Order: sequence, then structure tokens, then C-alpha cells
Amino acid sequence: MIDVQDLSKDYVQKRKDPGLRGALKGLVKPERKLVHAVRDLSFLIREGEIVGFIGPNGAGKSTTIKMMSGILTPTKGRVLIDGRDITRYRKEVVRNIGVVFGQRTQLNWDLRLGESFELLKHIYQIDQSDYDRTLDELDQILGIKEIIDKPVRQMSLGQRVKGDLVASMLHSPKVLFLDEPTIGLDVSAKFALRKFIKEINRVRKTTVILTTHDLGDIQELCERIIIINHGVMMEDGNLSQIVDRIAPYKTLVVEYYDEAAPEHPRCEMILHDGNVAKYRFLKNDITAADIIADLSKTASIKDVSIEEAGIDDIIKIAYGA
Amino acid sequence: MGKVFRELIHYMDVTAQVIKMAVMTIIEYPSNIVGWMISNPLQFIMGFAIIKFVVESFGEINGWNYGQLAFLYGLSVISHALSMIFFVQGWFMGYYVIDGDFDRYLTRPLGVLYQFFFTNINIFGVTDLIPGILVFIYGCVKCEVTVNLLFIVQVVVILIGATLIRGGIYILLGSTSFHTRSAVDFGQYTQEIMDKTTMYPLSMYPESMQFILTYLIPVGWISFYPVSALLGIDSAYNAVLVPFITLGVGILVMIVAGVYFDVGLRKYESAGN
Repeated sequence: MIDVQDLSKDYVQKRKDPGLRGALKGLVKPERKLVHAVRDLSFLIREGEIVGFIGPNGAGKSTTIKMMSGILTPTKGRVLIDGRDITRYRKEVVRNIGVVFGQRTQLNWDLRLGESFELLKHIYQIDQSDYDRTLDELDQILGIKEIIDKPVRQMSLGQRVKGDLVASMLHSPKVLFLDEPTIGLDVSAKFALRKFIKEINRVRKTTVILTTHDLGDIQELCERIIIINHGVMMEDGNLSQIVDRIAPYKTLVVEYYDEAAPEHPRCEMILHDGNVAKYRFLKNDITAADIIADLSKTASIKDVSIEEAGIDDIIKIAYGA
Repeated sequence: MGKVFRELIHYMDVTAQVIKMAVMTIIEYPSNIVGWMISNPLQFIMGFAIIKFVVESFGEINGWNYGQLAFLYGLSVISHALSMIFFVQGWFMGYYVIDGDFDRYLTRPLGVLYQFFFTNINIFGVTDLIPGILVFIYGCVKCEVTVNLLFIVQVVVILIGATLIRGGIYILLGSTSFHTRSAVDFGQYTQEIMDKTTMYPLSMYPESMQFILTYLIPVGWISFYPVSALLGIDSAYNAVLVPFITLGVGILVMIVAGVYFDVGLRKYESAGN
């Protein structure tokens, strides 16, 4: 479906020394520095996958997704969508993709939402019957018809993002690119957006590629994640497998009746605060039940809970924190 | 051939929709209309009043009499108005480059330049058209031109060529932003230069400048040469041929501008989130 081959993007950055002197120097003899925003990315995405790109700000996620959607021209390498190079055959290939960039809108600010849809109907040459059917279908997921007559400038961010999502799906693209789609949204709007992504993926088999900083997005949506940092791919694979590999531990939280919390030979006690103690243990080494059994021999336990290592640990590692 | 035809139909269909939306946008903000309806025509009527005053005081400008000057001025304002309708967005190209606003055009199955200009089509430019047409008709009457089919074709050809030259120049200047990565609002400067070189006879400028304005920045072809030929002011110019040279120059400038734009677009960096 999507074949990314040796994708690289360099920027020329003009370096400027501080102050007026630096500004003058930059004018006469500019110092140019080559920045490798993305370096030699290669991966394959199959039809119907939901892939999350994660990494810190400036890691190259947006640059990558913009090259994949035909916005930026790669310095090296290429992106094939259904076997066609998107840079070379932009106009044909983009018919198969939809793009939503969190803070930007492709909707006409001054007119009612429906007018923007109407324009897209003409741009993508969508049959009236296909258009009506798609709109009905999307309306069932997002309830877009409630706001279709509202001018875009009067919409809340959540409504506008809904509008943008529907706008990007009207021509039934095979691939949907989302660059930080949930940024700035409230909980219910986030929930609606995630439901939408899951639904179109399930019903229409739309391949979804998104970048996000939101742990909830990743947890809810992505089976597969690609971690990028400094323009280089750090990880690519199944989310739970990556979690298991990078953070193969769980944490047992035990509340005792008194303050004497015993140690356990196969756990690391990472916190002991009053009646509460936290034990970190390797998932493959020992089970929580065994630990509880051992601990209850020497102390009386009031309550226990288990914390899974999760994406936040992965992100901390990926971001080098 | 069938493919080209289908493409053309597609673009025309989108254009009709875009114009419809532009009109709806104007209706959305009715108070703007009044302002433009008054200030735009006024600007050009005043310009023409100055010419009238100058000519009446001195008899003529560089061998051009009053009627001929009106003809030149009118034709120039009409092509200016047309370029304002279709190409004014070129003035602001730098801001689009800096703000990453080309993103959405690049993800749609239409030409980027087409979308840039036509989804921002400026229907208000029509308000410039009115004074242009009035002064032009006045010039035609004063010069006693015979209006036949050939004349109409010549005028239309000149206007298309002139509009393309203006638009091409806007694109060329705007596309420099891809390389400099800075937004310069050069609209005002180009406007000044274009006004002064197309609304008055080019022959009143020094020869070196005439050379530049003929071959390097071919604004001479917007109005001066075709009108000189059409009115027989300079017998060196063939009246039938010159309008088509204007069209040719227009197409050439547009092609060069398009290529330069495409080169720039490859360097387009979008904008960070």
C-alpha cells in the first residue's frame, strides 16, 4: 500500500551570530548549515493499518508525513502509494489520500460548512449519489449534519476538526494522514475523533497514518507505532511488543496495615511511603500473585493494585528523558 | 486529446464553483462592497483627470494626443483590472510560502498555481474594470477608430496577452519567496511601476529604460506597443501583427513564471506546527 524507500530530507539553515554584528556578517557572508531533518527512513504500511508516528517536537515526524502526503519533495528516496511515486505523479496519487493537519483547516472560513464540501465534490469529481452516501455514512459516525449549515468561523475547534475530517474523507481516500489531530481538543471531541478513526478503519478499510503526542491516541488507535527521533527511526513495530521489550516490567502497589514494608528478593522496591510500597518486577520472571503470597507471609496486606508499564515509559525512553 | 478535454472540463467546473463561492463570500460581508465600489473607480478616474489636465496644458505628451492617451490609459486599466481579478494573490505569495499555506493545494488533484489563484479569485477587481472600460470607450470615440470584427479580436488578444504578462510578473516576483524564505509585500511597488509604464507612452522614458521595459521586463507589450500599432502612431509597428506579439510575450512570460514557480515549489518547506 505505502512503500517508503530511503526517505531523506535536508534543509539548508542559515546560521546567524548574535547581535547587529552577527546580522551584518550573515548578510555579507552567510553561514549555511545542512540540517538532516529525516534520514533514510524505509518502511512498508499495509492496507487497513493504523500507524502512529511518535517522537519529540522537531524529531522529523511532520516532515515525514508531509513527504508521504506529497507536500514536501524528498531530498532523497521516494514514497510509493499503491506503487505510484507521489512526488512524480502528485495529481493522480493524491486522489487516494486525505489529509488533516491539526491546526490548519481546509474549510472556507466565511461560508457555511456545506459550501466547503460542495467545492471538494467538484475538485474530486465525486458523483452526487456517492457524495450523498458518503456524507450519510460519515454523519452517522460524527453527526456532521447538525453543523453543516453553520459558518466555519462560528465553530468551536472540536466542530471545525470534525468538519475537516469529513472534508478529507468525502472522496473516500484509501489513506488518511492526520498530523496531530487531537491537539487542543477537549475530552469528548477527542473521544469522537478516535471513534471516527476506528470506524472508518473498520468499515472502509482506510489506512490511517497519524502523528501525535497524545498517549490516549496511541493506546486507543495504534496497533503499530514508528518512533522517530533526530530524523532517524528508533522503533517500528507492534505497540505491545515494543512496550514488552523496552519496558518489560510491571509495578505492584501494596498497602499494608502498618509501616513495616518487607523487601522481596526478586523485586525492586521503588517507593516506600508510610503504609504504601511499590515493587517493580519483570513480567517474565515472577507473577504478582507469587509476590503477594511471599509478602503476606511477613506482613499483613490491606490492598494491592498493579500498574502496567506503558507508553509513557516508551516515550520517556524514546525522547531520551 | 480526450484526456486534455476532460481535464479542461474539470478545471472549468471547479472554476464555476469557486466563482460561486467568491460571490457568496462578498454577499456575506456586504459593507465591503460599498467601499470598494467607491474607492477603486475613483482612483483611476482621478488618474485620468490628471492626464487630461496635463494634455490640456501642454497639448500632447510625446506626440500622443488626448484621445490616444485615453485609449492607452483605458486599455491599460482594463488589463490591470483583469490581472487584479485573477492574479492579485501573487502579491501575497510570500506569506503563503512562510505560513505553509501551499500544503492544502499540494494534497489536491489540481495544479497548485491554478488553485492558488482561482480559489482566491478576487471578484472585487471588477470595480477597476468599470473606469477602464469607460475611459477606453471615450478614447475609441476621440480617436474615431472603426470598430469591426478585426478590431475587437485585436483588443481581446491584447487584453489576454497583457493580463498574462502582468500575472506572470507577479508569479515571478512572488516565487522568489521560495528561495529567500521571506515575505515581501511587493504589490505596491509593482503597482507603481506598472501604472507609470503602461498608462503613459513608454517613448517618454530614456532609451535605456525603454530597452529594459521592452526586453527584460516586458511591460511595454502590455499597452504601449500594441496601442502604438493599433492607432498607427508609429508606422514601424504592424497593426495586425503586434497584438499577437503581445499575446506571445504573455504566454512566454507565463511559461517562464510557471517553470520558476515549479522550481521554487520543490524547495517549499511548509511550516512547522
